[in-house]
Amino acid sequence: STLVPSCRISSIVGTVSTWHRGYRATINNGKVDPAVKALQARQDVIIRKLYELKAAAEGLAKIVTTPDADLDLTVGSSLALQSSSSTDLDTLLGKNHGALRDIVINANPSQPPLSLLVLHSLLCQRYRVLSTVHVHSSVSNVPPQLLSCLGAPHADSYARHLFQLGFTLIWKDVPKPQMKFSIQNMCPIEGEANVARFLYKLLAPYPSDPGAATLVDSWVDTAFFQLAKGSAKKRTAVLRALNSALGRNPWMAGPEFSLADVACYCCVLQSGSASAAAANVQRWIKSCENLGHFSPAKILTQ
Amino acid sequence: MMKDGVQGATEEEQQAQSKKGLKKQQKEAEKAAKKAEKQAKQAADQQSSEEDDFAKHRYGVSAMVQSQEKLDRTLVQIQDLTPAKADQLVWLRARVHTSRAKGKQCFLVLRQQQFNVQALVAVGDRASKQMVKFAANITKESIVDVEASVRKVELKIESCSQQDVELHIERIFVISQAEPRLPLQLEDAVRPDGEGEEEGRATVNQDTKLDNRVIDLRTTTSQAIFRLQSGVCQLFRDTLTNKGFVEIQTPKIISAASEGGANVFTVSYFKTSAYLAQSPQLYKQMCICADFDKVFCVGPVFRAEDSNTHRHLTEFVGLDIEMAFNYHYHEVIESITDTMVQIFKGLRDNFQTEIQMVNKQYPSEPFKFLEPTLRLEYTEALAMLHEAGVEMGDEEDLSTPNEKLLGRLVKEKYDTDFYVLDKYPLAVRPFYTMPDPNNPKYSNSYDMFMRGEEILSGAQRVHDAQLLTERATHHQIDLEKIKAYIDSFRYGAPPHGGGGIGLERVCMLYLGLHNVRQTSMFPRDPKRLTP
Repeated sequence: STLVPSCRISSIVGTVSTWHRGYRATINNGKVDPAVKALQARQDVIIRKLYELKAAAEGLAKIVTTPDADLDLTVGSSLALQSSSSTDLDTLLGKNHGALRDIVINANPSQPPLSLLVLHSLLCQRYRVLSTVHVHSSVSNVPPQLLSCLGAPHADSYARHLFQLGFTLIWKDVPKPQMKFSIQNMCPIEGEANVARFLYKLLAPYPSDPGAATLVDSWVDTAFFQLAKGSAKKRTAVLRALNSALGRNPWMAGPEFSLADVACYCCVLQSGSASAAAANVQRWIKSCENLGHFSPAKILTQ
Repeated sequence: MMKDGVQGATEEEQQAQSKKGLKKQQKEAEKAAKKAEKQAKQAADQQSSEEDDFAKHRYGVSAMVQSQEKLDRTLVQIQDLTPAKADQLVWLRARVHTSRAKGKQCFLVLRQQQFNVQALVAVGDRASKQMVKFAANITKESIVDVEASVRKVELKIESCSQQDVELHIERIFVISQAEPRLPLQLEDAVRPDGEGEEEGRATVNQDTKLDNRVIDLRTTTSQAIFRLQSGVCQLFRDTLTNKGFVEIQTPKIISAASEGGANVFTVSYFKTSAYLAQSPQLYKQMCICADFDKVFCVGPVFRAEDSNTHRHLTEFVGLDIEMAFNYHYHEVIESITDTMVQIFKGLRDNFQTEIQMVNKQYPSEPFKFLEPTLRLEYTEALAMLHEAGVEMGDEEDLSTPNEKLLGRLVKEKYDTDFYVLDKYPLAVRPFYTMPDPNNPKYSNSYDMFMRGEEILSGAQRVHDAQLLTERATHHQIDLEKIKAYIDSFRYGAPPHGGGGIGLERVCMLYLGLHNVRQTSMFPRDPKRLTP
């Protein structure tokens, strides 16, 4: 569960220290004002704290994701673990005491989280997933296509212990999508982008290179904050950026399909800007659709 | 000497006493004389005032209604008194909730159940000074007939349910007078705990309320609780009837204890003794064996448990369900949980006023639920408890504190106050529970919880006489005593399951109340048999 924060912190540390180096260069060129000096000292403290936090998060990640910390010598850092191809749920989510690991997602029926539905269908290809949809008493009149958005119930759904993973979607009056997994060891994850990051980790590791990981992260944020929620002007700008990125690479963040593609595709679809997009984006949309992962999102936007 | 001395002393004392007594008597006589004088004067006053009271036919104490005449008079309901009725002259019957005289006018609050309206008698061309005085002297809780004109008010009357109108009384007759001293004040009985403590305002303790239940039931809170309870019963019946269930009646006097031998009330039955039914289960099952397919019943259930807790009663209303299923007992769970969800939805959508009314006195979080209902398996519950630091064995039953904790954990993760826990260990369930086909440690049984408290315990029942005999023997039950029960399954029995809930407990937990006596109209517990 700490994989998400540790990676997020690495990217924050990276960004802040880059900016900090630049700032230091400019003040070395001019004369040093005592106020600037004090500011610099405060920044040093902040950066040190961030590094400490990163180390602590990585330490925690190691404890949680390593079945027996004393015996395990192969796991050097959380990033090394991510690059390994192991998707064993015990390693990713912790031991389960023989009971179903149930991921609970609360989402508002007025804004279906398309990317999470896509990730759900990808999870179903990888694991035995028990999928259930509930309606919370805080909402009523949920349209039927939202009740069946996780597909027909599994034939074995009467026996919860037969499944590796539970995916419980609750339509509820929430301001933004929210995910709950282990209520003792983990706080709820808020926001579609963050929930998508968590789910994607169960499918494939994040790139081990911090630069590449940051690129994926930044596309995910751009998709959810500027494409899905931004103004028309912002959307046009993002679509232009998408087009140029897709001119350099077949997928959003390089040669490999990644979470960036899931996020961008769903947000393009949701914003209704697919048909007006430029050539590279059109080609990429076709490639995405050829993968066959996106039908849950398509059904809901039709 | 000694004796004399003592005697002398007592004589003196006696003398002194008699002197005192004399004075006292004298005083009392004076008092009585004054009183008589006063009364005479009052009577005279009254007589003289009655003579010149132009409004004397407009008020008074009516002769006891003995159905002398059948008046064709339309009475309005207080809840219908809206600005639309402004300036109309209406008749209504209501209780005097409060009255306050102020010089030449008297303000009354008239009440019908949870609705009330302000009314005014003022000296004028319709009401005399004497009439105002009469109205002011009507005791609280008396029932009156009133003719009044409906008037719109400028300023909303915050203290009444009808805030936009008041009544200007033109005639007022007492139909039934309440005794002047009430055992409890209604406004004290609805005061939220802790409120008004600084001002020294009283709250009424539960025993006083229950001892004077007739008055306590008149409060807005009680009115709301029992109207909602009636709604629960209605929704239960309607939902099940729509699902094709048949309502049945089962006997309450039975020859053998249905669930083991303990906790049953014994009653004398001519030359022998009988028991009061602890559960209609056996009869529900017999109806299934008699091809009624799906049945339910609503009726009293008796438990001779000497538990003085917030949630135990010795007599309560059981809402019981039993149904045949085709292939899997989850068909039964689905029917029961859907019935509960329909009840919760019905209450949420049609009883908001009542819920708000109860919340005023007993604030609580609104009841949350999921549709379809969340079903967890026992092993999952154990894993959740384990994660929270509770160590317990795989085949151990949940203790009440653990049930509560589990309720909190489930609420935290799923945000629901209602869920089903399925697949209990076989060892902790009664002998008639069907074992799990794949794992002999578990069983096809389930409990349902509301706000972390168990409200229903149910299972697929063993419908095979031979297996039932084996299970009973395993539990060391005397086969002779349950012969009739086992025999019911000898002539072909459909697979079936069911469960039962307690009406009072469901109402208590839905409303977030803390004592089941609040949701039992005339509760029976080990210490209370009356009223």
